Amino acid sequence: MKNETGNKVKLGIFITAGSVLLLVAIYFIGARQHLFDRTIIITGVFKDASGLMVGNNVRFLGINIGTIEGISIMTDSTVRVDMQIEEDIKKFIKTDSKAIISSEGLMGNKAISLTPGDSGAVIKDGDSIATIKPADMDMIMAKLNRTVDNASSITGDMAVITKNIRNGKGSVGKLFSDTVFAENLDQTLVNLKYGMKGFSDNMEAAKHSVLLKGAFKRMKKEERQERKEEKKEVKEEKKEEKEQRKEEGK
Amino acid sequence: MVDTVDKQTNGKSKEVLTDCEVINNRDGYSFHSFFADIGALSSFTLRFFREAIRPPYEFNEFLRQSYLIGVKSFGLVGITGFIMGLVLTIQSRPTLAVFGAEAWLPAMVAISIVREIGPVITAVICAGKVGSSIGAELASMKVTEQIDAMEVSGINPFNYIVVTRVLACTFMIPLLTVFADAIGLLGGFAGVNIKGDTSFSLYFLQVFNSLDFMDLFPSLIKSFFFGQAVGIIGCYKGYNCNEGTEGVGKAANSAVVMASLSIFIIDMVAVQITSFFM
Repeated sequence: MKNETGNKVKLGIFITAGSVLLLVAIYFIGARQHLFDRTIIITGVFKDASGLMVGNNVRFLGINIGTIEGISIMTDSTVRVDMQIEEDIKKFIKTDSKAIISSEGLMGNKAISLTPGDSGAVIKDGDSIATIKPADMDMIMAKLNRTVDNASSITGDMAVITKNIRNGKGSVGKLFSDTVFAENLDQTLVNLKYGMKGFSDNMEAAKHSVLLKGAFKRMKKEERQERKEEKKEVKEEKKEEKEQRKEEGK
Repeated sequence: MVDTVDKQTNGKSKEVLTDCEVINNRDGYSFHSFFADIGALSSFTLRFFREAIRPPYEFNEFLRQSYLIGVKSFGLVGITGFIMGLVLTIQSRPTLAVFGAEAWLPAMVAISIVREIGPVITAVICAGKVGSSIGAELASMKVTEQIDAMEVSGINPFNYIVVTRVLACTFMIPLLTVFADAIGLLGGFAGVNIKGDTSFSLYFLQVFNSLDFMDLFPSLIKSFFFGQAVGIIGCYKGYNCNEGTEGVGKAANSAVVMASLSIFIIDMVAVQITSFFM
């Protein structure tokens, strides 16, 4: 008989422990879904839910603050998303906060991120907040496609040009591949050097000739005057700067 | 000698004996006998429900059976659950490591244990431990004519023997499943920490973050059905055992086999229903 009561006690402990474990599990799972928190509901209207599902997380500054409560189609181009968020957090979310659909990790689970707002007005239960159109993967791909097209046409042109250069077509091609052209260029440069020296000698001679002496003197005078004016301007600028510094110092 | 007795019973089976006795008297298990077995089991189940709601309620016997089935199986279920959690974690790590997703290990282990491994392993262990013992116990009661004696003395043997055991199984196996889940998750924690370094709180945060009510409740509900199946089949096989010591062994053996098989069949049906709602 004594043994039987002992067994009953053991059974009681067993059942109590099991029930407590179950309740703890239910509490923790429920807490994650904000079943036991006081919550408010805010809504956002999106053009595209992009795979958002009921139960996905709502984040603010990267912290989970709630879940998606409902998704419904309003018109043929708008989707209304109800977000259930913790009441304790609502003081940080302003009426001009914005909601954006983002991805959670690589596995593609969607979430809504709320951006902090600027104005002082705190959001209330049932308020609606503005949304930002998320960077759609398809749009990014379309833009990327255009970029790739342009790049391919550019590289195509480059290929033709380099081919021409290699085959010695065009002036650049000649420069690289035609040895006769190079020799001619070399010779031309030598001739140019001699020509320039002759020219400079001629000019020197011209300065001393009677006919052009007057003209050269006039040119020199004008040059000197220009230099003087430049120096004056520089001095005035320096003075102004000094005065400004003094005023700032005072 | 045994052979001649068997032949004799086989000879008159078609006229005199009931369906289930025919089945239990046969050496082989034919196509016909399979359906006869299913039919007899169904009527046995129906009788269980009829008797269960009808007084007298044998509450003390129910508690005694609950102790034998629940508390006495706790050690076995706990050790199995711990090892399953540990092994599952260690075995899954390389695959997840290929994707660089070792951080998902707690979530994966939690979902596998709570959804599938906890309920099924517990039920199969109990089919082995509890189902066989019920089958053997009832069969030996039947063979030694204790059940008939009860009937004579005015106690409803079905109510006293079958209903209490089946109800105890139905309520204790889900409870054992809860323990198996919890201990399995502890095993998973040990497994995670063999090659990594995760704090207890982070591990359980990740576990509960990955779990949903849709993981917990369907698995608990199906473990009620597992318990029901183990109890009913064990009792059915024992209650309808044929004469002789050989019958006791057969009853225990076929109780385990049929209970294990039906656990997996129930599991398959349950997963279909669950996925229908998800």
